[in-house]
Amino acid sequence: MARATVPDDPRFPDDRKGSLAAAVLDDARGGGRGDDGARIGLFLGTGLSSLTPAELAIDLYPHARAAGFDRDAMARDLARDRASPRRHQPERVTEVLGAQIGAIVRETSFSACSAAAQSILQGARAVARGDVDVAYVGGHDSMLHPIGYLSFVVLGALSPTVGRPFDRHRDGFLIGEGAAVLRLQREGDLRAGDAVLGWIVGGGTSVDAYNVTHPHPEGLGAGLAMARALRDASLEPGDIDYVNAHGTGTPVGDEAECLAVHRVLGDAPVSSFKGAVGHTIAAAGAVELALCLGIFGSGFLPGTPGLEEVDPNLPARILRDPTPGRVRHLLSNSFGFGGQNCALVVAAPDV
Amino acid sequence: MSPRPVRIVAASLFCPAGIGNMGLGPAVPGAVPGFDPIACGVPRKHLKTMTRAVQLGVAAVAAALAEAPGWQTIPPERRGLFVGASPQSGDAEDLASALKAADGDPGKFARDGVPLIPPLWLVKGLSNNVLGYASAQHDLRGDNGNWCDGALGGAIALAQAVHAVAERRVDLAIAGGADSLVGAEAMVGGPCGEGAAFVVLMAGERGDALATAGLPSEAGIEHDFGEMGAAAVPVAWARAWLARGPVDVGGVSGRRWS
Repeated sequence: MARATVPDDPRFPDDRKGSLAAAVLDDARGGGRGDDGARIGLFLGTGLSSLTPAELAIDLYPHARAAGFDRDAMARDLARDRASPRRHQPERVTEVLGAQIGAIVRETSFSACSAAAQSILQGARAVARGDVDVAYVGGHDSMLHPIGYLSFVVLGALSPTVGRPFDRHRDGFLIGEGAAVLRLQREGDLRAGDAVLGWIVGGGTSVDAYNVTHPHPEGLGAGLAMARALRDASLEPGDIDYVNAHGTGTPVGDEAECLAVHRVLGDAPVSSFKGAVGHTIAAAGAVELALCLGIFGSGFLPGTPGLEEVDPNLPARILRDPTPGRVRHLLSNSFGFGGQNCALVVAAPDV
Repeated sequence: MSPRPVRIVAASLFCPAGIGNMGLGPAVPGAVPGFDPIACGVPRKHLKTMTRAVQLGVAAVAAALAEAPGWQTIPPERRGLFVGASPQSGDAEDLASALKAADGDPGKFARDGVPLIPPLWLVKGLSNNVLGYASAQHDLRGDNGNWCDGALGGAIALAQAVHAVAERRVDLAIAGGADSLVGAEAMVGGPCGEGAAFVVLMAGERGDALATAGLPSEAGIEHDFGEMGAAAVPVAWARAWLARGPVDVGGVSGRRWS
């Protein structure tokens, strides 16, 4: 379902990502009629979100002093308004929405930019184990506010121009916001007429064990996650028809990912959506996987919006433009600060 | 393939009643007494980009591994790390100078305030910093996860670690939680504490019983130590395990925690 706007949800004051999550969960459930009698799980990945303008204005600014904050005054204020410090606790969205849909398992992954992908994988495993019958999985995030931008400005990760993953002149990413939720259930529980958009057939995670803000220069952790996902899916490298890259457009990130893709998957075609939708941070794995589901049956492999001149030093087979082709299996990457990596393998509905 | 037994081989404990077995003593809410991050194995060069909770967590991972026999023989790719944490959201104190310089004017904030913000402000606030730093320190490259689910974050980390070992994704899993809410009494409305605890899980021997480890009630731990957030359940679990003694290794079912 496409929405032109997402209204503020009164349950999540000053928390844009909460409103986004509520909207996409409603869409994914379609009224929840198919959930009757099912044991439901809710697995959401979300992000730092940092300080919002309201938090800045209400909670912090009045107490700023040259040498720091007046902690006593802050504590008095917070004690008067207990709702205030609860606004941005990430699990609150999972709690509220989980209660709404009667979820018996509720988990909030907080794994930086791999959070949504990790949530999808954890939900898929819970369904496969039989812990739940239906899992709503995905992620939500919004850092489209001054302090959100500031977080990445001070790290030098934002592009001053445009997002252009894999371009020889790439210089960072633009921030997006977003949310996506998928409904997962076992094949054996499908009923006549149920739509199938794809099959999650494998997933793998890893840690770089290298640096909290820089990827391993050779993409060792990224490669491990991809190899594990492939093995989990019982597939060979040649079975992957398309790789949806994390592809942020940062010089070091793209290089590390391309090295890893080439090492693990050979010449599998690669592209990134982030030049079109920006980097949706903790939601990226879900937003991009949802977009990937549209590839099946389309007859095309997507190109890389924003990319003009492919960096010749990148070893992977990068798609600048949409290319005719059939995708039976795709692999989607998500990598985060802290060195957390997650790769998911999805099969077409007719595979 | 059926899930394999999972064995607890070591535990670490940092809580307001003390560190390690000393933490089994009388309990009061508050800080972990005598906590010295450097002495507890936290790399000195990273201290300035770690919050107190992260320091506790990194120290607790190191302490748990120090008690685990032969963990280095397991390949790094087969070592997993599962963490319950709280959102750190940077240290607000690092923004104070910039806000003061802005004097309420967004333009001045951008011009005069931003340069006063430490470049590593965001990095210090990453909620998966325990995972990031500890994995680099001990070369843990396997399956992993980081959860922020309030006081249940650590419990979810324990459960997912059990699944990871039982389902053969890793052969060693370090799992637990860390949090520091000392000083947050006004925000949470009651006495607060801090703590960190991690257990080391390995595959059990064939024939081990799939027993379920007892989970002390959250009410109990919070009564003892005050609000501890994501550390509450791991602290209670490690405390119970340590009280049984290192010989009495408990098996854990991989199917009970979800």
